[in-house]
Amino acid sequence: MKRTALAAALAVALLSPAAADAEVRILACEPEWAALAEEIGGDDVVVHSATHGGQDAHHIRARPSLIAKVRRASVLFCSGADLEVGWLPVLLERGAGRILQPGQPGHIMAADHVEVLEHPTVLDRSLGDIHPDGNPHVHLDPRNVSILGEVLADRLSRIDPERASAYWQRLISFQARWAEAMAGWRARADALDGMKVFVHHKAWVYLLRWAGLERVSALERVSGVPPTASHLAEVLELARNSGAKAILRAPYDPENAAEWLSGKTGIPVVELPFTIGGHPEAADLFSLFDRTLALLEEANNRS
Amino acid sequence: MSRIGDLVRIAAIGLPFLLAVAAAEAQSPPTAEQLATQIDALKQDYEKRIAALEAQLAVMKAKPAAADEQAAPAPTMRSGDNSFNPAIGVVFAGMVSDFSEDESEGLPGFQVGHESGRPQEGLSLGHSEITMSGNIDDKFRGALTLGLHGDDHGDEVEVEEAYVQTLGGSGMPDGVRLKAGRALWTFGYLNEQHAHADDFNDRPLPYRAFLDGAYNDDGLELSVVLPGELYSEIGGGVFRGRDMPFGGSESGREAWSAYGRLGGDLGRNTAWRLGGYVLDGAAHGRSGGAHEHEHEDEHEHDDMANFFSDGMFTGDTRLFGADFRLTWAPTGNARDSELILQGEYFRRSEEGTYALQEPNEECENDLPNGYGHNVCEPHEESEQLSGDADGWYAQAVYKFLPQWRVGARYARLSPPSDAGLGYDLSTISTMLDWTNSEFGRVRLQYNRESLGSKRDDQVMLQYVMSLGAHAAHSF
Repeated sequence: MKRTALAAALAVALLSPAAADAEVRILACEPEWAALAEEIGGDDVVVHSATHGGQDAHHIRARPSLIAKVRRASVLFCSGADLEVGWLPVLLERGAGRILQPGQPGHIMAADHVEVLEHPTVLDRSLGDIHPDGNPHVHLDPRNVSILGEVLADRLSRIDPERASAYWQRLISFQARWAEAMAGWRARADALDGMKVFVHHKAWVYLLRWAGLERVSALERVSGVPPTASHLAEVLELARNSGAKAILRAPYDPENAAEWLSGKTGIPVVELPFTIGGHPEAADLFSLFDRTLALLEEANNRS
Repeated sequence: MSRIGDLVRIAAIGLPFLLAVAAAEAQSPPTAEQLATQIDALKQDYEKRIAALEAQLAVMKAKPAAADEQAAPAPTMRSGDNSFNPAIGVVFAGMVSDFSEDESEGLPGFQVGHESGRPQEGLSLGHSEITMSGNIDDKFRGALTLGLHGDDHGDEVEVEEAYVQTLGGSGMPDGVRLKAGRALWTFGYLNEQHAHADDFNDRPLPYRAFLDGAYNDDGLELSVVLPGELYSEIGGGVFRGRDMPFGGSESGREAWSAYGRLGGDLGRNTAWRLGGYVLDGAAHGRSGGAHEHEHEDEHEHDDMANFFSDGMFTGDTRLFGADFRLTWAPTGNARDSELILQGEYFRRSEEGTYALQEPNEECENDLPNGYGHNVCEPHEESEQLSGDADGWYAQAVYKFLPQWRVGARYARLSPPSDAGLGYDLSTISTMLDWTNSEFGRVRLQYNRESLGSKRDDQVMLQYVMSLGAHAAHSF
């Protein structure tokens, strides 16, 4: 009997929610959302990012530390549109509590809240690892960042009503600074209007649309499968008289194909930060866009 | 099984206890002081909410000014599987193989089951799998996996998994999962995953000898991810006892398990996990059950060893397991380059009787068609034996190019000392595989298998392709 009571007491101790955490814990899938969560949550939240700036968020493992993090988180902040399909379902099933499940306030998928581009018209795996819900890399349109900031403030104020006014006030401050920065970026982007670029992976569509750049072609014919020689030969033909100013790649894209095309054509390879930490100077959301525009301007002015 | 009785008693006493505590909290009548503090709390709460609403209003008011910069999206909610149909996936795995020895020696000192023998030589279909899975409602998820095996004796369909489990939103405490049905239960590293996800064409020796490939009994399992900075998980289950290392379940709840796991990161690009496991229960006439005993002509092996490989086991068996796994991706991108180290150790303690049916040679020649079965029964010998044995493997797999990996594995088994074999069984394996996409892989593997008196050199070329829905693989 004594043993039974002890076991029951132990079970209660283990299963009851941990002594109320002072802060709201946020697990962001990518560094850009972690940075936005820091802006809106400030000292009232503890933010972890599942990936770092050198990582491709398509392909990470549902490693044990992430299960531990999602277990304690009350907000999950991701890109969605199947970007994290290889590992997020494991986290949702394995460690995540009720508040993080789809439809709950702690479940934020950025692609659910903004206009998603590149919905595929044909769904066939021979076209590679395509995303049936469209292109998930929505953060490179600065307008989307602002929208998601508001979504987050709304969710945080519902999860943690005690500090709701602090979240809304930080949002006001952030959106004011962001609008000012965006006005500056808009002017710089207008000067790039019509600039032609090649891309390694189709990860840049939101940036290109916002900035008015034109994508000539992608080096990956099939998304997620390394470029083939025959496709690269076609790309080379396209590149020769295209007037393209840059070949864009993210830090985690393999170098070889872009370097090969650059060597044949003289079009410079431009490694954009893609996200926070993708370049030492891209340390927060503001410097991410500053740095990205500076690199594009440099390429545009080169010839 | 008194231990299972204990578990049931704990659950029966613990549950009403929990309910009583919850009910007591809900029902105590408030005093005037408590009411006063509640009103104060409400006041403060409303003041905060008003402040929040004011701030929110300020956001709304600020909006029109920036309207030209806003893309106007229509917010939508998407569900993972596009529709209410279950996600369906098919896995194809075929093989061509060549062995230096015509006959396999089995696993001397161990029973050889359906899944633990040598694969077929030549061209073979191997295992195909059909999986259907989906969320049943907001609280449950279900999955069914049918394994399709074909060999020269015909094709068969096996229910590999058919389980339901609770979802994170089921109302269970956070981190708690209950799974019921038939599943690849938590034991060691490889057991939980389908064989097509393995890094080698065949399961390592300890899995073949102790679990006949994998433990997928009927039962239920509770697991709890504990809140903490470090990943920690504990769990346990109760099982029917129909699958190796058990068999011939009499009560329908012959076995139980318990486990614990720890894991975490080392720096940004390295992750690790450790686990300890126990699986305990009773077997009633467990036999290997392989289609054929390829080694029938080797009966002069050793008399005692035959009890272990061909006998029917009745008694108690307990399996301890320990596993570790470490993954390191130099750039953080496992798609480009990654090193995986993995190892497991199993120890079996087993006490019981091995019964051996010896063919009655005198009768064999004059057995008329359809007659004589009752007259000429094989005589049965049985021995009280200790089946204590252990085994381990360690492997390293390195992705040196985005689509290419090499791997090496060493596996070793120590048969029960009562078998009187006086030697260990071992296999050295190397492999090279090419992965076109996440969904298609071709693998070449070489094994040097030393299971008895001879050395078997094995070369296998296997493809593993998957079609349709593809479950996210865990760590």
